[in-house]
Amino acid sequence: MLIAACVKLVEIRPLVDPLTGSVDPGREVGCSAADRAAVEVVRRLAESWSARTLLISVGPPRAEPLLVELAAVGIDAAVRIDAPRGVDSSTVGRLLAATLADVGADVVVCGDYSSDRGSGSVPAFIAHHLGAAQALGLVEVHTEGPGSLRVVRRLDGGRREVAVVDAPAVMSVEGSVAELRRAPLRSVLADAVPVEVVATDVPLSVRTLPTRAFSPPTRVASAPTGTPLDRVVELTGALVERTPPRTVALDPPEAAGMILEQLRSWGYLDEPDPA
Amino acid sequence: MSGTDFDVVVVGAGPAGSAAAIEVARAGRSVCLLERGPSPGSKNMYGGVVYGRILDTLVPAWWEQAPVERWVTRRSTMLISGDQALTVDFRNPGWGEAPHNGATAYRPEFDSWLAGVAVDAGAELVCSTTATGLIREAGQVVGVRTDRPNGDLRASVVVACDGVNSFLAKEAGMYPHDDPSNFTVGVKETIALPRHVIDERFAVRGDEGVDIEILGCTGDVPGGGFVYTNRSTVAVGLVLSLPALAAGGTRPEEILRLLKAHPAIAPLIEGGEVVEYSAHVIPEAGYDMMPELVGDGILVAGDAAAMCLAAGIWLEGVNFAIGSGALAGRTAALAARRGDASAAGLAGYRSSLESSFVLSDHRRLRDAPHLVMSDLAQRVLPAVACGVVEDVFTVTNPTPKPGMRRIVRQRLRRHGVRLRDLFREGLRALRTFG
Repeated sequence: MLIAACVKLVEIRPLVDPLTGSVDPGREVGCSAADRAAVEVVRRLAESWSARTLLISVGPPRAEPLLVELAAVGIDAAVRIDAPRGVDSSTVGRLLAATLADVGADVVVCGDYSSDRGSGSVPAFIAHHLGAAQALGLVEVHTEGPGSLRVVRRLDGGRREVAVVDAPAVMSVEGSVAELRRAPLRSVLADAVPVEVVATDVPLSVRTLPTRAFSPPTRVASAPTGTPLDRVVELTGALVERTPPRTVALDPPEAAGMILEQLRSWGYLDEPDPA
Repeated sequence: MSGTDFDVVVVGAGPAGSAAAIEVARAGRSVCLLERGPSPGSKNMYGGVVYGRILDTLVPAWWEQAPVERWVTRRSTMLISGDQALTVDFRNPGWGEAPHNGATAYRPEFDSWLAGVAVDAGAELVCSTTATGLIREAGQVVGVRTDRPNGDLRASVVVACDGVNSFLAKEAGMYPHDDPSNFTVGVKETIALPRHVIDERFAVRGDEGVDIEILGCTGDVPGGGFVYTNRSTVAVGLVLSLPALAAGGTRPEEILRLLKAHPAIAPLIEGGEVVEYSAHVIPEAGYDMMPELVGDGILVAGDAAAMCLAAGIWLEGVNFAIGSGALAGRTAALAARRGDASAAGLAGYRSSLESSFVLSDHRRLRDAPHLVMSDLAQRVLPAVACGVVEDVFTVTNPTPKPGMRRIVRQRLRRHGVRLRDLFREGLRALRTFG
């Protein structure tokens, strides 16, 4: 039996500009907590079933140190499918499935989604291409017997779904499922698992498509009524009865008391209990 | 050597550890460089400048490859008293040209680069691995234990570069006493500003950078401050006496807030965004707190050996770390080749440090940290200096200008300084720095 873990190299400390929302991916790379959990699940399943293990990733050569580091926890083989960063999920799923079919993987475990704005769709694509059962977004994974698993899946509203999944199967797990064990020092020093590279025909540049500015559909609007002054008054609400704003200068304790009093008068807070 | 995994294990991939590993690997010996962080330098911070002259022999033309933020071409010493500030400002555009003098750098990048040089030389770098203790046989250190499964690592020589408060040196019994007054704590905010804004505010261009050392900015807590420029950030920080902080119950970030609000500092960082706050303990007392540097099977280098020079106008650490680490590496490699890792076999480390700048500077300036932390230097000197300059430049027409001697004497009297005390401290400073 062969159990495979799929991982993805990502920038682990991206910086998001709070003003513009632009993302600086940062320099530090690694993989998501969910991917690390997937590797640990694979190790545990392999121990239960005396199975062989495989670590696999789609990415550029700089993903190899990550594979070597993760494989040091006791993974038998590592494969990097050569492709540039930014390949879409369906292609990644197709590439992974092709190699996993070649090596005869029985159970495939992925992280539920990568931390670089991943959609979580790669495991589903793999299952589709392999024709395997899929159990995604798992919070627990237990072995039932050889090739059989009892898994718990997160549902909306705090509910859980328990399912029994038999190989061949593709699973994705949340990061909380398992903490990746520490690699023994000897394994780290030995670099014992060489990374096999699988060539692909994926172009080395990302294809870009021309886009147009968004143009809202035309709609018919009725002509405005009344004088311009009426319209300004209506839009601004200037003559509507309202509580006039007040400016007060108080010490913090008094200011806090006044805020509470005001919130009570508006009905946001209950009146204080006299007792 | 039989029964060992490596000839040398170096603990800590900071500047000292990487320099040691480079020397061992280049001597043709096997060396493992252990780092507890996920990458070299990921847990390190400092408050100033990397002085690169020591790198000339270790990495020729290092300035062409080292990840430098700015080359320091402006070096200022600022005395602060109240809302006043007196600055001595020195510019040398020549420091902006190779081979340069000093540079600002981000430690995670600088340390990773230097560790990369060690790896290229043949060292085995193992990150995310903490050395938790020493392995001894018949009193001799023969390796380290780590926090990984099956994590024992045996070697002929262990070089402890595990930073200030070295647990390995302590476990080896090389720190005879542990006096908190020997330590300071450094705190630093890294503040992001557009590069052109930094250039304008600090009056520099291109890769030129500024390093400002400040005295009198720490209130009742003895210490000092610093401001230096990176490409798109400004670092503002303090070095503060640990016992005084503890005794006064003062928060370092509060003192830092006051420094940032000072009229001499606030305009430099106005509008900036704090992107990082960091803190680190510093072995401030230098020579007087150094541990035993050599033991049976073990050498101590860098901050672990208190190789940090806090001598007022000279605030240096990375160069002393690299210098001591390189010498430890050479000694360890030689001992491994000879098959003698006893304290006697490693004794050459101490003598090589003595004959280099590392210990000669520390020995000569051993009184400097005490001088800098004295009340005279901390409070009286900045107040008198600022007061004298204020009196000199304040035009009091129609009153005639007072003479300089009178101004100085009045200011000294106002701050309760007797001339004889001033001369005594002046002589002491001359003996220390002279």
